[in-house]
Amino acid sequence: MPKLPELVCPAGSLPALKTAIDHGADAVYMGLKNETNARNFAGLNFDEKSATAGIRYAHDKGRKVLMAINTFAQGVDISRWQRAVDQAADLGVDAVILADLGLMDYASRRHPNLRLHMSVQSSATNYEAVNLARDLFGVQRAVLPRVLTLDQVGHVIRHTDVEIEVFGFGSLCVMVEGRCLLSSYATGESPNTHGVCSPAKFVRWEQNGNTTSARLNDILIDQYGQNEPAGYPTLCKGRFEVQGDTYYALEEPTSLNVLEMLPQIIDIGVSAIKVEGRQRSPAYVAQVAKTLREAIDTAGREMQRFSVKPAWQAALGKLAEGQQQTLGAYNRPWK
Amino acid sequence: MRVPDITLPPIIASIASKLPATPPTLALVTALNQLVKRGVLPAEMELLAGKRFEVDVLDAGIKLRFAADEARFSVDQSTQAPDLRFAANLADLARMMLREEDPDTLFFNRKLVIEGDTELGLIVKNLLDSVDWSDTPLARFMAV
Amino acid sequence: MTALNLKLTLGPILFFWSRDEVFKFYEEAAGWPLDTIYLGEAVCSRRQQLRTSDWITLAHQLADAGKDVVLSCQALLESESDLKRLRKLVENGRVRLEVNDLGAAKLARESGIPFVAGTHMNVYNSSTLALMQRLGAYRWLPPVEMDRSTLAAILATQPELETEVFAWGRLPLAFSARCFTARHYNLKKDDCQFKCLDYPDGLQLATREGAGFLSINGIQTMSDGCHALLPHLAEMDAMGVTAVRVSPQSAHTAEVVAAFSAVIAGTQSANASMESLKGKHAGEAVDGYWCGTAGIINTGDTLHASA
Repeated sequence: MPKLPELVCPAGSLPALKTAIDHGADAVYMGLKNETNARNFAGLNFDEKSATAGIRYAHDKGRKVLMAINTFAQGVDISRWQRAVDQAADLGVDAVILADLGLMDYASRRHPNLRLHMSVQSSATNYEAVNLARDLFGVQRAVLPRVLTLDQVGHVIRHTDVEIEVFGFGSLCVMVEGRCLLSSYATGESPNTHGVCSPAKFVRWEQNGNTTSARLNDILIDQYGQNEPAGYPTLCKGRFEVQGDTYYALEEPTSLNVLEMLPQIIDIGVSAIKVEGRQRSPAYVAQVAKTLREAIDTAGREMQRFSVKPAWQAALGKLAEGQQQTLGAYNRPWK
Repeated sequence: MRVPDITLPPIIASIASKLPATPPTLALVTALNQLVKRGVLPAEMELLAGKRFEVDVLDAGIKLRFAADEARFSVDQSTQAPDLRFAANLADLARMMLREEDPDTLFFNRKLVIEGDTELGLIVKNLLDSVDWSDTPLARFMAV
Repeated sequence: MTALNLKLTLGPILFFWSRDEVFKFYEEAAGWPLDTIYLGEAVCSRRQQLRTSDWITLAHQLADAGKDVVLSCQALLESESDLKRLRKLVENGRVRLEVNDLGAAKLARESGIPFVAGTHMNVYNSSTLALMQRLGAYRWLPPVEMDRSTLAAILATQPELETEVFAWGRLPLAFSARCFTARHYNLKKDDCQFKCLDYPDGLQLATREGAGFLSINGIQTMSDGCHALLPHLAEMDAMGVTAVRVSPQSAHTAEVVAAFSAVIAGTQSANASMESLKGKHAGEAVDGYWCGTAGIINTGDTLHASA
């Protein structure tokens, strides 16, 4: 049997972390309760106590915990980000996921034994970029932005000894991660600067008869009829007007789902498959982890003979944003 | 144990809506205060203080209205509009509470209405998600 | 009004213009009061009206005419052919590079070519800036979303690199694997029929209430508003900014350059210059990012900042 990619699941809270482990995640990723991580949402994430408990829970079961410190340190005083790296090292995480090159530099000098993963927010879309991070900081894994075709992912893998992690399921960023400022253009806060995209405090839902309007900082993002599936009021997934046509001009509310490509993903040597959604509930984590665990194991056994079970597709389909799913950039026609 | 897929018949709503909502609300806030006190509900009360909430159980015709201050929850007797309103049928609310269903999933499917202060909604949702029921007798009811 | 110690640069053309238009543009630009001209295809690999070798030839010609020239590299590098074109730029032998991708920084570093770290390099703090310098950057551009107080704090540490600010034009906000112009025409990206040629300043995306919001430029998403920092040049000068960049537009770029040049020379007030450019740019004038708020906002600070 070929070497299976690790299943890396999101944990926005301690129950989500335990749930992910219980349902078959090989590793979970988490963030601290501040702007050092890209899901800096009110009430979400870990403090020292819950992080300690979570790491113990995972390690007792032989699983890994990765700490995402994946926003960009701002300005001159970057001590909060450096402290987050120190804290992660002290807590005994299995790796930190970093986006900022200056912070990678700090981590590699200060904690030479701490394993470094290059965050998707670093926007490394080619092997030269990945190899630069390896040469400079000893990065051992890179998470690729969701813009490459599967062939291009394979090409990167063939040209680097850095492990490659790709996204397998979850709400889809249609833009190159780390290179999207749409949120700050509308609100002043972006993933890079504040660890948020289309932040909740700027969101307003308006009910007008049977129509629901979603506004972000007063900018109308979308309107939904009574039973129309809704999505997050994320800028890239709104309906806009271009030359008189009103449509999802950038992207539909949709989720990435790579189930049908699993044998190819295994075949080209992907090291880890990541699930998006630290902002989602334990119920989501349970269903995704369980489904992908089963699907990855089956794909590894069956490879060429593999076919997606309708039950998996149904389980994931229900969780998908806008109840739509796509193979995203992995599949050339999407472009 | 899964929550069965049922909607309460309209007659229930029409009866229940005529009953005073205080008893179920009182039960809810008492339970919430117990959970906060025992540290099960890791509420950062300062984020909730001064806010009014309404849980609208659509098919039961019951509206649970409560408020929070720096220390505890209380029944909201006022007629002021809530800062945050959740509305759904009983079965969907139960699924959400028992972690059978992710609130976002219900929201995407338009089975859960969230109105008012969106950030407050997120705080409450994340608060519910972060309760570690494994430390409580309720654990056996939870889906995950 | 006093003269400012700022250099004036012309950014690469971010839109898709025909070969003739590009040559005509640089023929004119050669006579404008510019300190540096950046050129090259920075956005989309399918835009081949000028091949990489054409850009290199054009750059060398402008350099021969005594201009300081920099070749801008494509920001999103995905395929081996993207990397091949990048290597060609690195090997041009003469002109320095503006890099907007880590892979490009790697190649520039290995070849020992000093480079400009562009806005997409995500340099948000002084440690990352110091790292860029170690890799061989001699100049950097902060991300367009960085506000003036963050930039001022970084510059107060007196970094040895030159600092250039994106000061005029539609803001480059995002890159995608998907081409939104092709999507508008229900075309696949690989068969886009080069629709971008029809939109030399981008294709407007408005809200359902008809308010201009963004602008589609192939795989790039830009602001509908025109980032206009002309009224803030004095404070940039005071905080130690080296240069300000004008991003090319299909018409009136000469007047924009002239207006910046006049404010820098101290011969015209910022207000009068802004006034002279009314109706000569796409969308509304905005400056929110610089002032520490949403990029889409026109703070009005625009009118009294340097009055």
